Amino acid sequence: MSEIPAARPRPFVVTPGPHLRVSETTSSIMWWVNASLAPAALWGVVVFGPRAFAVIIASMAGAVAAEWVGTAAMRRRSTVADGSAACTGLLLALTLPPLLPAWAAFLGGAFATLFGKVIFGGLGYNLFNPALIGRAFLMASFPVAMTSGWSNPRPWFGPHLDAVTTPTPLAALKEYGLEAAARLISGPGGVTGLALGFRPGSIGEVSVLLVALGAGVMLARGIIHLTIPLSVFAGTALITSFSGAPLLHLLGGGLWLGAFYMATDYVTSPAMRSGQVVFGLLIGVLTGVIRLWGGYPEGICYAILIANAVVPALNLWFRPRRVVAMGSPS
Amino acid sequence: MHVEHLKTFGRGGIHPDPHKRATAGLPIEDVPPPMEVRLPLQQHLGDPAVPIVKKGDLVRRGQKIAEGEGTGVPLHASISGKVKPIDRHPHPTLVMAPAIVIARVDDPDLAPLEFPVDPGWRELPREEMLERIREAGVVGLGGAAFPTYRKLQLPPDVRVDTLVVNGAECEPYLTSDYRLMLAEPDAIVEGAVLMARIIGVKRVLFGVESDKRDAARVLAGVIRRLAPDGYEMRVDVVETRYPQGAERQLVAALTGRTIPPRALPYAVGVVVQNVATASAVYDAVCRRRPLLDRVVTVTGPGIAEPRNLRVPLGMLLSELVARCGGITDDATRIIAGGPMMGRALPRLDLPVTKGMNGLVLLTGRGPFEDGYGPCIQCGRCLEVCPLGLEPDQVSVRVEAGKLAETAPYGAEECYECGSCTFVCPSQRPLVQFMQVAKSALRRARDTRSVA
Repeated sequence: MSEIPAARPRPFVVTPGPHLRVSETTSSIMWWVNASLAPAALWGVVVFGPRAFAVIIASMAGAVAAEWVGTAAMRRRSTVADGSAACTGLLLALTLPPLLPAWAAFLGGAFATLFGKVIFGGLGYNLFNPALIGRAFLMASFPVAMTSGWSNPRPWFGPHLDAVTTPTPLAALKEYGLEAAARLISGPGGVTGLALGFRPGSIGEVSVLLVALGAGVMLARGIIHLTIPLSVFAGTALITSFSGAPLLHLLGGGLWLGAFYMATDYVTSPAMRSGQVVFGLLIGVLTGVIRLWGGYPEGICYAILIANAVVPALNLWFRPRRVVAMGSPS
Repeated sequence: MHVEHLKTFGRGGIHPDPHKRATAGLPIEDVPPPMEVRLPLQQHLGDPAVPIVKKGDLVRRGQKIAEGEGTGVPLHASISGKVKPIDRHPHPTLVMAPAIVIARVDDPDLAPLEFPVDPGWRELPREEMLERIREAGVVGLGGAAFPTYRKLQLPPDVRVDTLVVNGAECEPYLTSDYRLMLAEPDAIVEGAVLMARIIGVKRVLFGVESDKRDAARVLAGVIRRLAPDGYEMRVDVVETRYPQGAERQLVAALTGRTIPPRALPYAVGVVVQNVATASAVYDAVCRRRPLLDRVVTVTGPGIAEPRNLRVPLGMLLSELVARCGGITDDATRIIAGGPMMGRALPRLDLPVTKGMNGLVLLTGRGPFEDGYGPCIQCGRCLEVCPLGLEPDQVSVRVEAGKLAETAPYGAEECYECGSCTFVCPSQRPLVQFMQVAKSALRRARDTRSVA
């Protein structure tokens, strides 16, 4: 038996097929999501100042720390580097009022990953959107700080308003009616101010345009599709048209952030497009119902959390259609 | 603007980077006889061939050296030389398996056998054509290596109306079928007509992907010249989309018919044969020439000079890569076949077998070397599965050890095209999860039917 010159320092690697794959990984997706949120986050800092920056950093630190502790406690390989915990922290921060104490933001971030994700078994196994679990926790624990921590845009931007602490346009709409809300966003900015972010609001929701820009990046890279966000908008528009101010509802509050970034979370949304339409509509309708007839000026957070609970059922009902026989040959 | 709607299959599929440029422009080169060939007795699906030569025998290229018994096919000497002791040798799929080794002898008495054209070849009865195909050791050259005579012998109650000739070559990197269509279109078309006569159909559809339009044009030209009266023969350019060359997908694209789960194409009246097989059938019927060589695309970033080569069967991969300038220092993986459905080989001292249509040398780390993550339910696998199966659901149940619960998600129907695994961002080995579930479900069913 003749020996073949197989002299080679390293053996050849034998792995199962396919031997090619896309370059996209879970981690690359998460970091792209983070990167696409950066403009909105930075704009929040520009508009609201260093307090907003502290909230963002604290929330992300809390989320990453909890992820690290959680995976270490479960004796699993650390998943901090995959960017999903950082993403949770960043998303949470963008839903918070800029004047929230940093320690509360840290606590919220830690709660978000620990109780929103880690206790379910980590990435991929959680039922609810972790960032929104964190927000719900903060709303329940620090209701005053969460609803009064709104800051005016810093004085060199946008319209001057009277108080240091003012209601958001949606809160004004809720408490004082359409006219008050209209007054709040009228003046030099108007609806443009609403879109650009020269108005009171949470850190990331103020600039609908920059949220849209980030969403555009994710759409262009195929990370998300329009199915869920459009369904959310459709549902919201349907319900809020009863209020006479659907445009204010569509541009105000955290609807864009929620529709493009929270509702599209892979783990907590249906896998099939058909299920996603129902999921998005449900979120939109619930958002409108909560805003018009519920106790909160905002609605998207709880709407998504409720819809998250329906996802396992949607995944059962909406499954791919099997390619089956069409009958005998023609 | 005119938008062309190419024929294709219904759902799913992927568009991997084709990587065909390195070899698409290179004509097929003949490889001179190597110093040694190792011919495994098992190079096809079915019973292994039974040796009819022994140690020390002198054989001529083309001579039969092993008989096809049972469901198998015979084997022939691909070079002239002296038979070495018949022993077990490394095998590309069976790890170790018996093989006939022939050491080359250059001797005028051992000139290759001649296979002159048989003048009456067009008028042969069906049984004689089938026998010549079997006797020539022809198997499916697209990769499956199923004995061709068996695929052409349909069960008595089956009626077919169409022969589909597969020139899709949807695997990235591979160009062996493409170059063969350009080099031997006459043999391919003649072989297709012969097979159509054997299965009793007059409708022959060729499927060629849109990145090989010149090959489609060449075949269409030959068809105009050679198509017998009363035959409907045409070339359909199909969308370049993986896995367009899979039987189910090609039949769907060309005929609009869907092969039922776990059934063969004849269930919808179709027989599918690869273009290289058609050419081998022509050689077998018209001049009784056995299958001695096959075209192999040797390519990938790990090879110095990519080539399309006509290789004597049994030639060692180490010699094959040496003919292509050798492997590069950073080559890490050897893939027999295409990179989507091909198989990683651990070593190069393995022979070229009948089903090996490509040898792709890859660099860098493989998809699963860094482990894999949990399913994040992104739904990509659901979108690309050409059968509408649910690899995500199967995979999480296999991970949880709930094999019996995988049945509703289609594990048994999976033919392992790998599209799901290609797109999975968590780098999960979804094809392997499907395999595990499939074999468990089959075992369970077999046990039930025995009980």
